[in-house]
Amino acid sequence: MLEVRNVSKVFTVGLFSRHRIEAVKNVSMSVRKGEIVSLVGESGSGKTTLCRIILRLLEPTSGSVIYDSVDVTKLKGKKLKWYWSRVHGVFQDPYAAFHPFYRVERILYQGFNLLPRLDEGEKKRRVYEALKSVGLKPEEVLGKYPHELSGGMRQRVAIARCFILNPELIVADEPVSMLDASTRIGIIKLFSDLRDRFDSSVIFVTHDLGLAYVVSDRVLIMYKGVIVEEGDPVEVMERPSHMYTRRLREDVPLLYRKWEGF
Amino acid sequence: MLSGISKLIKPELFMIKKFDASLGVLFAVFALGFIGPLLYQVQPTAVAGPLEAPPSRQFPLGTDAYGKDVLAQLIAGVRGSLQIGATAAAISLLIGVIVGLIAGYKGKLVDNLLMMLTDIVLLLPSILLMILIAAYFKWRDPLLVSIIIGVTSWPWVARAVRSQTLSLKNREFVNLSKMAGLSDFQIVIRDILPNIASYIFMAYVLLMSGAMIAETGLSMIGLGTTQGLTLGNILFWAQVLEAVRRGLWWWFIPPGATLVALAASLLMLATALDEYFNPKLRGS
Amino acid sequence: MPEPLLLGLDLRASYRLRLGEVKAVDGVDIEIPRDSIVGLAGESGCGKSTLINVLLANIRPPLVLKSGRILLDGLEILGISREEVRKKVWGVKVSIVPQSALNALNPTKRIIELVKDAIRQHTPASDQEIISLCKRRFEELNLPFDSVYKYPHELSGGMRQRVIIAISTLLNPRLLVVDEPTSALDVSTQKQVLKMMVDMKKEGIIDSILFVTHELPVLRQVASHIYIMYAGKIVEYGPADSVFFRPLHPYTKALMYSVMTPEPESRARGLVTIPGEPPSLLMPPQGCRFHPRCPYVMDVCKKSEPRLVPLSDERGVACFLHHGESVN
Repeated sequence: MLEVRNVSKVFTVGLFSRHRIEAVKNVSMSVRKGEIVSLVGESGSGKTTLCRIILRLLEPTSGSVIYDSVDVTKLKGKKLKWYWSRVHGVFQDPYAAFHPFYRVERILYQGFNLLPRLDEGEKKRRVYEALKSVGLKPEEVLGKYPHELSGGMRQRVAIARCFILNPELIVADEPVSMLDASTRIGIIKLFSDLRDRFDSSVIFVTHDLGLAYVVSDRVLIMYKGVIVEEGDPVEVMERPSHMYTRRLREDVPLLYRKWEGF
Repeated sequence: MLSGISKLIKPELFMIKKFDASLGVLFAVFALGFIGPLLYQVQPTAVAGPLEAPPSRQFPLGTDAYGKDVLAQLIAGVRGSLQIGATAAAISLLIGVIVGLIAGYKGKLVDNLLMMLTDIVLLLPSILLMILIAAYFKWRDPLLVSIIIGVTSWPWVARAVRSQTLSLKNREFVNLSKMAGLSDFQIVIRDILPNIASYIFMAYVLLMSGAMIAETGLSMIGLGTTQGLTLGNILFWAQVLEAVRRGLWWWFIPPGATLVALAASLLMLATALDEYFNPKLRGS
Repeated sequence: MPEPLLLGLDLRASYRLRLGEVKAVDGVDIEIPRDSIVGLAGESGCGKSTLINVLLANIRPPLVLKSGRILLDGLEILGISREEVRKKVWGVKVSIVPQSALNALNPTKRIIELVKDAIRQHTPASDQEIISLCKRRFEELNLPFDSVYKYPHELSGGMRQRVIIAISTLLNPRLLVVDEPTSALDVSTQKQVLKMMVDMKKEGIIDSILFVTHELPVLRQVASHIYIMYAGKIVEYGPADSVFFRPLHPYTKALMYSVMTPEPESRARGLVTIPGEPPSLLMPPQGCRFHPRCPYVMDVCKKSEPRLVPLSDERGVACFLHHGESVN
């Protein structure tokens, strides 16, 4: 459904000594319909850069992203809006995702910009419905400013936008890493709800191997800009082939098994 | 959005002593310029009495070499200076903010070109530029003087707005607006501009203080406005007619002190606002 | 029973805010045995950071101590002057590695200067003595000694964290308190830092560690005892294995269910959600503070607050479901 082909991204920093950083190196990957894929990597692995390239928020230095047999890296104007209505993102920081000056429903109403024209009543109805779908009471959320809601509630509002758009693919960049343990699962569940209801595909971009292992159909392990391992999560954890994956598996704290020498 | 901006102003602002003090001085000067004419109805340009009379009951600040009332001139001058300061600051701010927003948000070639322009204006000695432009026009009304000052003093605003825009444009709320298909213009106006509103407010205060000093500078070398009075204008004539050497202190000290008080209180207001908007600066 | 290293009784501390009183620590009893690693688990805003401040006798407005006693290594540390606390308690009896330690170091000073400043709070040692003390300790812990001559930003995140731990324990405090020490690190570095702390305890540099975090898997690897905190109160405590695998309080259970580790057991469990969010400490719910989210809620839970009742020598829980039981 979506295919990333040989994508690279080079950042140049510094004014005079043009220092080059290769954040993503010749990465190819694909996502199938209705599939939950996790892109696992630690900070600096290039996973967020790749996620932004897929969301068409960053331009790759080379390579293409193919969706519905169109290279989306070249899209502009109306076509780009169409792409964003089909492939949408949810970000890590539920605090930074909201502009402090506007009421929270702004980001929901913005979503209608991508859809065919609707009258105000219909928009309102859909906003209500989307908020209910993410487990919020519309009357408790509408009209509030971001600082009046908790992190978990804000992340739910951000996800509600996906319930308005029903995109085919949702790219979620660390959607729970800033939330508390007891609210995390509820948020993750919303993505699997989206999959179940609309057959949407989900890419979780995460540093959390456990999250990837528990929720995904397939995991991709990214290390220093390269996807070093890919496969069924159980398979990958049982028989990791790359050295980096093996190290990750050894160093991740587990619940049911204890480390040696501690 | 307006209610969002109005939220910026909270009672804590008035707890900053610098803010209260500078506001007090500003209020006094504004009152002098705008309420003064109602209470002290003397024509500043008319010959009112004896020449070079020291302050007395009839002429609270004395008269100048032509017998014109200094207090009446001061009242008109404050108003003129404030007018030029406010207009010039608005012009600089407009140019600076637009250039900074476009350069910062668009990046790449546009950024390079605009920043090149900014650097050129920044590096040219602006007083020289002002002198050249001013000397070209024989008749200079206050608006022209404001424009001359305005178009030469925006570069630092552009640089600061650009760097703030750069740091804001990759924020997640901007990405969310982008993904909703909002145009660059909409994003800049609705997402980025409100976030630098507090900064723009501060910049305006600083620009105004700078513009009034620049106006005085131009006037002192005889290139100020040829219509109406400003503080610089009064000082110019005081200087030409050697008021200092001849000890006519009531002629040059009141306008000079008013100018210093205005400029200093505006600067202080800007630092107070800076402290308020960036609480980290408030000593821990 | 041997005397515990730290015993805190009936600790109550509040923030006085304009909006009202935030009871961040509301009647906490806590015991840290000698030779133990005690894990304090709880989510943000549950009061665990405040509890740390109370345990360190670091109480400054707007935080106000309402009641309580703390006996640390035979010394009563609440109610003595701040000056005395600084001299006799911090760095000597207890040291803390704060959550933001990575950025807490003064960036304009070399690490050795920071060490000298810290040590001289307690003893008038000479430069030479301090340097040799540092050197010996760094050798013991296999840390490169030359890092003390660097500036904080010249060290990697993991190295900085290890250096901070090493220098904050130079005077062999009996208790080390660490607040989310590894949450900003990648897993491999995290493991190294944890290993170092565990080794320090084994070598007797410190007696015990109070490890504060919301990451249960980390506690599972290092902790011998667990305290679970919710909305300003301890809701359950006990030996780590027992709490992990026979959780009694519904909140502890929920926390366990929310853990996602790359293990078959986690995957088999799937996604088990708890409704709602932790309450605001400004207006905690009546009765049991967990009752609005609790799947086993009974009438009594809405009216009265369950006390933390010991079920055996080692375990205790604050839940009406388990009052009157005993657990061995």
